[in-house]
Amino acid sequence: MAALPAPLPSAKMAAVEKRRPAMVPAASFPDGGRPAVSRAAATAESEEDFLRQVGVTDMLRAALLKVLEARPEEPIAFLAHYFENMGLRSPASGGAGEPPGQLLLQQQRLGRALWHLRLAHHSQRSAFNTNVGVAYECLSAGGRRKRPGLDGRTYSDLLRRICRDGEAPEEVVAPLLRRIQCRDHEAVPLAVFRAGMLTCFVLLEFVARAGALYRLLEDPGLAVADRRVGQAVLDTLEGALQAGDGAPARYLEAGSRLGPDSLAQALDRALGARRPSHPMTREEFLQKAAALFIAKVKPVG
Amino acid sequence: MLSPERLALPDYEYLAQRHVLTYMEDAVCQLLENKEDISQYGIARFFTEYFNSVCQGTHILFREFSFIQATPHNRASFLRAFWRCFRTVGKNGDLLTMKEYHCLLQLLCPDFPLELTQKAARIVLMDDAMDCLMSFSDFLFAFQIQFYYSEFLDSVAAIYQDLLSGKNPNTVIVPTSSSGQHRQRPALGEASMLEGVEAALFYQRLESLCDRHKYSCPPPAFVKEVLSNVQRLTFYGFLVALSKHHGINQALGALPDKGDLMHDPAMDEELERLLAQVPGLVNPVTGSPEASSLPSRTTPRVGSPWRPLHHTRKMDAESDGSTEETDESET
Repeated sequence: MAALPAPLPSAKMAAVEKRRPAMVPAASFPDGGRPAVSRAAATAESEEDFLRQVGVTDMLRAALLKVLEARPEEPIAFLAHYFENMGLRSPASGGAGEPPGQLLLQQQRLGRALWHLRLAHHSQRSAFNTNVGVAYECLSAGGRRKRPGLDGRTYSDLLRRICRDGEAPEEVVAPLLRRIQCRDHEAVPLAVFRAGMLTCFVLLEFVARAGALYRLLEDPGLAVADRRVGQAVLDTLEGALQAGDGAPARYLEAGSRLGPDSLAQALDRALGARRPSHPMTREEFLQKAAALFIAKVKPVG
Repeated sequence: MLSPERLALPDYEYLAQRHVLTYMEDAVCQLLENKEDISQYGIARFFTEYFNSVCQGTHILFREFSFIQATPHNRASFLRAFWRCFRTVGKNGDLLTMKEYHCLLQLLCPDFPLELTQKAARIVLMDDAMDCLMSFSDFLFAFQIQFYYSEFLDSVAAIYQDLLSGKNPNTVIVPTSSSGQHRQRPALGEASMLEGVEAALFYQRLESLCDRHKYSCPPPAFVKEVLSNVQRLTFYGFLVALSKHHGINQALGALPDKGDLMHDPAMDEELERLLAQVPGLVNPVTGSPEASSLPSRTTPRVGSPWRPLHHTRKMDAESDGSTEETDESET
């Protein structure tokens, strides 16, 4: 009996139930748990047919391709998520009943688009771009009462959802949304959609890293950072970002400005030059860091 | 956040490294064995549950041994399942024999090989008196090393034997400080004094083993740490040191630190909830953590879901820890 394992607590009870079979002498065990194995040779062909007929073969091939395309850090979790989404899409699991309302349909579309967008990290640009394309198609498909094409409202909804799920504080990402949102009634072309999605994901990662940086600066007891230190880091970052405009050679310069040496110098100067004032909170730090990033984003329209 | 090396690997290596195909193949086998499930719930749902259970580590429960040891993740999941299921044994301070632990293992994996349990017990008991009683945590940590690093330890054993026999001439050279004291002793006594092999030499060989070993091995830095603390050591001495090493336990990631082994509030709550549903079992005293962390004898045993086990345990104590085959799981 190799049924699908249940979550632990109930499995534990199952362990109690299974005591008896466990006491059977070990000799009878090979194959005991898997009756299919002994028949395998004879039925291999029919099993292959079966798998092909019910669509398992195609389904797994598609899943494997997605895994290879996205190269996720944890492919098994990725697969679980992949099949879960597929299950939600198929009518079988939706249950019989009246067709879902317009609002629900819209939610489903958003969910599906989000799922595609998250399949690959934005640094894997070609996989990410493919997925952005698929998400765009998902959202702009026509329906019974929906004309084909993507409007500004749906696009803004999606941006807000991504930011919300990205766990970045609202006031931090709000300026970005103001910059890259479209008007509700506007049609959103693919190029704008792609740029918007990419910017949004990059900003979220930027904010996450800024958060990690803040944790390093933070006084563990007080949960706030020294303003002089925080400001010095932000100033260094700003300087580097300004230097980084243009030719690739200048990226190197920007990188060296952020290197440990120059950062340490900046911190040193800051601590020496100014007197301590009121501390800097996490929100303030993130907001200021994000503002540096957002200033570089070209507004839509 | 990103580990770029996985992006540079060839497809096949990436899949092999993360055992993707092993699980996909197993998912299909499971599906073929449970065809009735898919007609009811659909294939996507089946795969969702399969891969979710792999993530949660519950996929190894009641599976055949060959599957349980197939991947490092499966091994870690099995260790975790064993700990979580039989934690109460440790909590009650019960001491069990190797055979009894083996029965517990077989509850989770019916064809679990006795040889592996024996090897783990040898680490605890230092290779003698195999019918002695062992505490749950001693056994668990020894078992962890033996089970998770099984292939590695086999190679280590071979190297050890090699050093012991092949390099015997070395062992005759006695450090001057101790040679003065023991000169009068016969050569045989001297040899037994110098039990084991020289740690530095042993480490050299293990280091190169770690480099080329295709199975998991403990982080080399920790192996070095273990071996740099001593001049000489025996094979079982080495295994004991590995099993007691916090860093190795943490790196392996299946079990908590030894101190937290009995601490799992979420599980305790769940247990209590389940017990509350069993009429006649409820005992308010068991609920408090103070009571449950006391040594076993004072803990009310009624509260434990492993009551049958405790009965045997009592009998055991009466028969002075003898190891007649106890059928605790039959009651």
